[in-house]
Amino acid sequence: MIPAALAIARVKFVLELRRREVIFAMLLFIAATIVIVHFALSGDTGAGSRAAAGMLWAAVVFTAVLGLLRTFAAEQEEGALDALLLAPIDRAAIWIGAALAQFGFLVVVEVVAVPVWWVLFFQAGGPSIGTVVVALLLANIGIALVGTLAAALALGARTRDVLLPVLVLPLVIPIVLAGVTATYGAFGEEVGGLRPLGFLALYDLVFVALAWGTSEHLLGD
Amino acid sequence: MRSLGRLSTTIPLVLSTILIPLTVALAFWWTPEDFDQGLSQKIFYFHVPIALTSYVAFAFGAFSAAMYLWKRTEVWDLRSYVGVHSGTIWGTLVLLTGPIWAKASWGVWWNWGDRQINVFLILFLYYCAYFMLRFSLDEGERRRSASAVFALLGIGLIPLSFLAVRIAQTLIHPVVFSTGGAAMPNSFLLTFLVGFAGMLSLMVLLISTEMRGKRTAARVLQLQRVARGEDA
Repeated sequence: MIPAALAIARVKFVLELRRREVIFAMLLFIAATIVIVHFALSGDTGAGSRAAAGMLWAAVVFTAVLGLLRTFAAEQEEGALDALLLAPIDRAAIWIGAALAQFGFLVVVEVVAVPVWWVLFFQAGGPSIGTVVVALLLANIGIALVGTLAAALALGARTRDVLLPVLVLPLVIPIVLAGVTATYGAFGEEVGGLRPLGFLALYDLVFVALAWGTSEHLLGD
Repeated sequence: MRSLGRLSTTIPLVLSTILIPLTVALAFWWTPEDFDQGLSQKIFYFHVPIALTSYVAFAFGAFSAAMYLWKRTEVWDLRSYVGVHSGTIWGTLVLLTGPIWAKASWGVWWNWGDRQINVFLILFLYYCAYFMLRFSLDEGERRRSASAVFALLGIGLIPLSFLAVRIAQTLIHPVVFSTGGAAMPNSFLLTFLVGFAGMLSLMVLLISTEMRGKRTAARVLQLQRVARGEDA
């Protein structure tokens, strides 16, 4: 089960290294989103501002959705999905592998985007980076999980590309709420200490459990 | 079986025709006017029961989804769909009556500081997406399971949204309007309960009527196939 999931994730990484389809697009997208939000808020995103914190989370979530659009694309185009479904592995391994890959893509994008965000908006007086990193990592797990789940549900839908954002975004609203709160905390605001981070961990656990329980019905027959 | 099906619409029909007008009567002629909010508080007897009814309908949809995944019979899929459908209809009413009350008592159409309405908005957005998912999949086993899984995930989303809104809110915006305070007088509580029972029976009526419609449609389709000489 775990080896199978890891193998699937590895395949996705190798494919991405060769084709460079997803990560590069995500990077450009997150940059454009940050610029757009910055100007949409009339540039009111100076150092230490809450808007700058919120902008990061909005950009991360939308970028994640962009990446998710390609989650099962390769498998579907080449017909590998049927083979995977026939393979003597647990169905859960397929979405765990896909979620792992998605998590990895998000981390790669954030490794580039977060330092840039930081330099652009907080030359001085930025939030404590440790909290932001932990919050992002926990959020990435949640986003990758529910995103992959939704992508699996939308497989075979006629309007898949339009459908996926509509399915994923309401599910990740709690992540954004907690992530933004955690980031305010990182600015030194009194926002209940570790509670937002604890919530993100809880969110991950709940959806791991729910996805696990329903994974058998996820990918079709 | 047929008489049972008829009862499942007749009883809620009778109950809702009695209880909903009764709520109006009790709310306007029996309960005293609220000391703080005056006449506008009367919408409480409709808005809150509608909101609770909507949650009950969504819960029924999710429960039926779980039953579908377990039993794999089409009727549970239909029940799940009808439950979510009904929940969305009641949800629309919640989102219409909520702002009216908010405007009357707080002076704003929408209050981002109010916990319930924000959670409800997330849930409403989520279950609206259910219809997009369902109707962009071709009819069949795949659509039934995908819809069921999606309907079921909402059960995880409700408590998580409550928690998230709470974490973000008590800390970011102070809760201005506390829901606590003095206990409700008995006449308020009774009118509210009558209202809730009325809305619930109307929901049951809508659900069982829609179920009957769906079943009849399926039966007609089947008969048409037989008439054309295809396999029933």
